[in-house]
Amino acid sequence: MIRILDPTLRATPPRPAVGARRPARLGGATLGLLANGKTHGMAFLDRVAEHLATRHGVAEILRVTKPNASATVSPDDAAMLAKRCAVVVTAIGD
Amino acid sequence: VVPPTAALVERMLAAGPWRAADVLLHEPVRDRSVTAWHLAINAVMAGCRPEYFPVVGAALAAIGDPEFKLHGPATSTGGAALMVIVNGPVREAIGLRHGVNLFGPGARANATIGRALRLVLLNCLECHPGVLDQSTQGWAGKYSLCFAEHEAASPWEPLHVSRGVAAGRSAVTVFAAESGHNVLVHAAREPERLLRSFADAMAALGSLSPGRSVIVFAPEHARYLALAGWSRARTQAWLYEHASRRLSDLKRAGKVEAQFLENAETRRWLYGESGGSEAVGADAHERVLPGDDAIFVHRGLGPDDILLSVGGGDAGGHSAFFPSWSRGRSVPFVTKEVPA
Repeated sequence: MIRILDPTLRATPPRPAVGARRPARLGGATLGLLANGKTHGMAFLDRVAEHLATRHGVAEILRVTKPNASATVSPDDAAMLAKRCAVVVTAIGD
Repeated sequence: VVPPTAALVERMLAAGPWRAADVLLHEPVRDRSVTAWHLAINAVMAGCRPEYFPVVGAALAAIGDPEFKLHGPATSTGGAALMVIVNGPVREAIGLRHGVNLFGPGARANATIGRALRLVLLNCLECHPGVLDQSTQGWAGKYSLCFAEHEAASPWEPLHVSRGVAAGRSAVTVFAAESGHNVLVHAAREPERLLRSFADAMAALGSLSPGRSVIVFAPEHARYLALAGWSRARTQAWLYEHASRRLSDLKRAGKVEAQFLENAETRRWLYGESGGSEAVGADAHERVLPGDDAIFVHRGLGPDDILLSVGGGDAGGHSAFFPSWSRGRSVPFVTKEVPA
């Protein structure tokens, strides 16, 4: 019998991740903005932040832009955002 | 494709130095690891002969280098091909073509090594067109873009040696490439006249960016550089100096985006050391300002951004320029030694 092998990684799914806790409200919270580093990423996120500040009373805003859109966020920036922010919004802008 | 039977895959794996579970590529954005086992399956499917496997593994490790940032060229609208340039004795050992029609059909190693990488992207990283691979158009090099350097026709040390690999060893150098431009010159022998057509192609508005470049000189063109005694460094410096456009041309063509002026690195690319302090106002990227005719914007950030190689048939004044994918800096050249 000829056995044909599976060329995909379906049998090895990505490691499961645990989602962060969701705050009940955003009033007074610190909001993180993580832009992908492309041309209009932070411009788009700034508009999102404006709405969140107006409608939900977000207090402080921390902005991080990745130096390269193809790279993952640096461990230092990820740790900083996780430590200081109640919510982080990330987006692709082009 | 060739059905990847267990027997064929075992033979493929045995031709390289890796164990089945060795991770040759980890893609961090999606946290996917590709082992030598999965590479062997896809190499069989691509039609590789077992003796190609060390080259395929080195190429996969090269595109898996964190500096290469594979997620970008694998998924971007830019539609990059994964270029693999092979140097050293392995070229002859596996029949990898460096001469006539080296980018085209006719050599199994050229056709299948790149194909194996593409099948890994499709099968293991799920870069399916329209899903993760969002190439607006893509191009034919995405099927396979693997070739050897024509070292005997080169005026210089082999490419891999220029990049730090010991002479006599074999290596791959990878690059995320836009489609190539044929640079056609038949009546220029002096380096400055010859290279002008290359610089002009490099400065074309359609692909001008701060990104890197690959030039593959045809043997005929390489010979003129050799006869004139031009070094690799001198050729790179001349090309960088002359592959430039006036800033006013870029503005008239809408090639300067508003956000470019907010990014210090891109401002330096456009304006040099002044950093663009003269560009003021929200529409400074659109208006041609006094002095913009005198500012020349170069392709890349310096001569080292231009990689020079040699390949092709002995007849014909046809060389090639491959721009980096994307409008930004995108990814660097990465060189990895092929295991003996």
